[in-house]
This record gives sequence, C-alpha cells and structure tokens, in this order.
Amino acid sequence: MSLWLSENGLFYFLTLVSTFFAVLCVNTRLILRAAVYLMAVLFFVAGIYLRLGLEFLAGIQVLVYVGGIVVVLVFAVMLTHSHAVKEEKPDITRKIIGLLTAGLFFLGSWWAIAQTPALTSVSAELMPLTTDIKTIGRALLDFGASGYVLPFELVSLLLLAVLIGGVVIARKDVG
Amino acid sequence: MNLYHFIIFSLFLFSVGIYGVLTRRSAVGILIAIELMLNAGAINLAVFNRYLAPDKVDGQIMALFVMAVAAAEVLVGMAILIMLFRRKKSVDIGQLDILRH
Repeated sequence: MSLWLSENGLFYFLTLVSTFFAVLCVNTRLILRAAVYLMAVLFFVAGIYLRLGLEFLAGIQVLVYVGGIVVVLVFAVMLTHSHAVKEEKPDITRKIIGLLTAGLFFLGSWWAIAQTPALTSVSAELMPLTTDIKTIGRALLDFGASGYVLPFELVSLLLLAVLIGGVVIARKDVG
Repeated sequence: MNLYHFIIFSLFLFSVGIYGVLTRRSAVGILIAIELMLNAGAINLAVFNRYLAPDKVDGQIMALFVMAVAAAEVLVGMAILIMLFRRKKSVDIGQLDILRH
C-alpha cells in the first residue's frame, strides 16, 4: 500500500495541512482570513482526533471550537470593524523578536523532549481503545476518587460568570 | 506515527501561536493566535491519553475542560475588545496605552 493510503499517511496529511493553515493564520494581514484559517486548523485537528478513535472529542471540537469560538471571533472582527482594515506589516524588529522567541522555544522544547526516553520510546502501535462516550459521561459526573464532578460544576459556574461578565463589560455605558 | 511525532506537532502549533501573539498588531489577531496555542495544549492532553492510557478518559476530560475555558476566554476577550473599540475607535495594540499614564 502506498504511503498516502496507509494509516500513517492520513496522519501525516492531517498534521501537514493543519500546520500549513496555522502558519497562514498568523501571517495573513486580513483578520477575517486569519479566523477562517483558524477554522481550517481546528477542523483538521478534529480529523486527527477522529483518526485516533476519540470520536466524542472530535465532535465537541467541531461543535465548540468551529461552531462556537470561531463564530465569536468573527463577531469580534465584525464589531470592531477589523474586516475593513488591512493590518500594517509588522516591522522587522518585531518579526525578528517573534521568530527568535518562537524558534528558540520550539527548538529548546524539542531538545528537552528528545532527551526524555519515556516520551520517545512509546510504541507507535495504537492499543485498542476500551473506553467510549459512556465512560466519559460517567467520569464527568462521578464523585468518587477519580471523578470530575467538582471541576465540571466549577466550569459551569465559570461559563455563567463569563456570560454575565461579557454582557456587563460590553453593554453601552449608562450615564 | 507515534506519541513523539504528535508532541512535536502540537509544539509546532504552540510556537506558531507564540509568533502570532508577538507579531500581530490587531488585538483580535492576538486572540486568534491564543486560540491556536490553547488548541495545541488540548491536542497534547488527548494524545497522551490515547497512547499511554487507552483504558482511561482523564486526558480527554481535561481536553474538554480546555475547550470550555477557551470558549470563556474568547467571550470575555470579545467583550473587552468591543468596549475598547467603542472608546478608542481602534483595536490596534499600539494605541491601547491608557494604563501607561
């Protein structure tokens, strides 16, 4: 079987395409386009989740990230009239600083990861998945030692606070 | 592809996000780059879960929490940017220097 049809070929395709769109996303000067490229990255990452067998996570990724966060970002672009203006080109010192910081972080972390045998020696073979959506649901609402009911409730409180806070911050000033 | 490749992949996405945060002039662009970085973190959690403990779901649940927090963050960010735009008629970070004076 050729590389591109094999199991690994799909992974390589998905990762390459999403890195490509990520690079486009930070380099385009039109903010609305950056939001659309971000959507492409998130879609392909959902594809990676799907290929790994994490269907629930892939579904939530598409629902929350692509359907929610990107839409909110597009709202932000529209409401601040950023779609009309072309961003100025970053000056060269800014670019160099950004490239140096990101590159040093990337290379340094890569070096640290390559030094860690526990990470590099994991077998490439995917073990069969023994969990499904039911397991996730039980763990989320389980209040035993390995349950997540407290963080779950905290996140729901956080979302409520954000909802109210967003309205309060963004509403018209009164008086 | 094994765990190592996925870590390098998410590391690259994170670095691209850092580059975006440092070079963007528009605050909305910075918000977009931050989303990239958050997503890179979530990929790591999910992939570690899949490769090291396929019989558990802790990593996936953490990735779900990351998504919820990302949604919260982008909502508050949008509200702040709208308020700033109403005051300054711009979201260029070069002009957002109210706190400096």
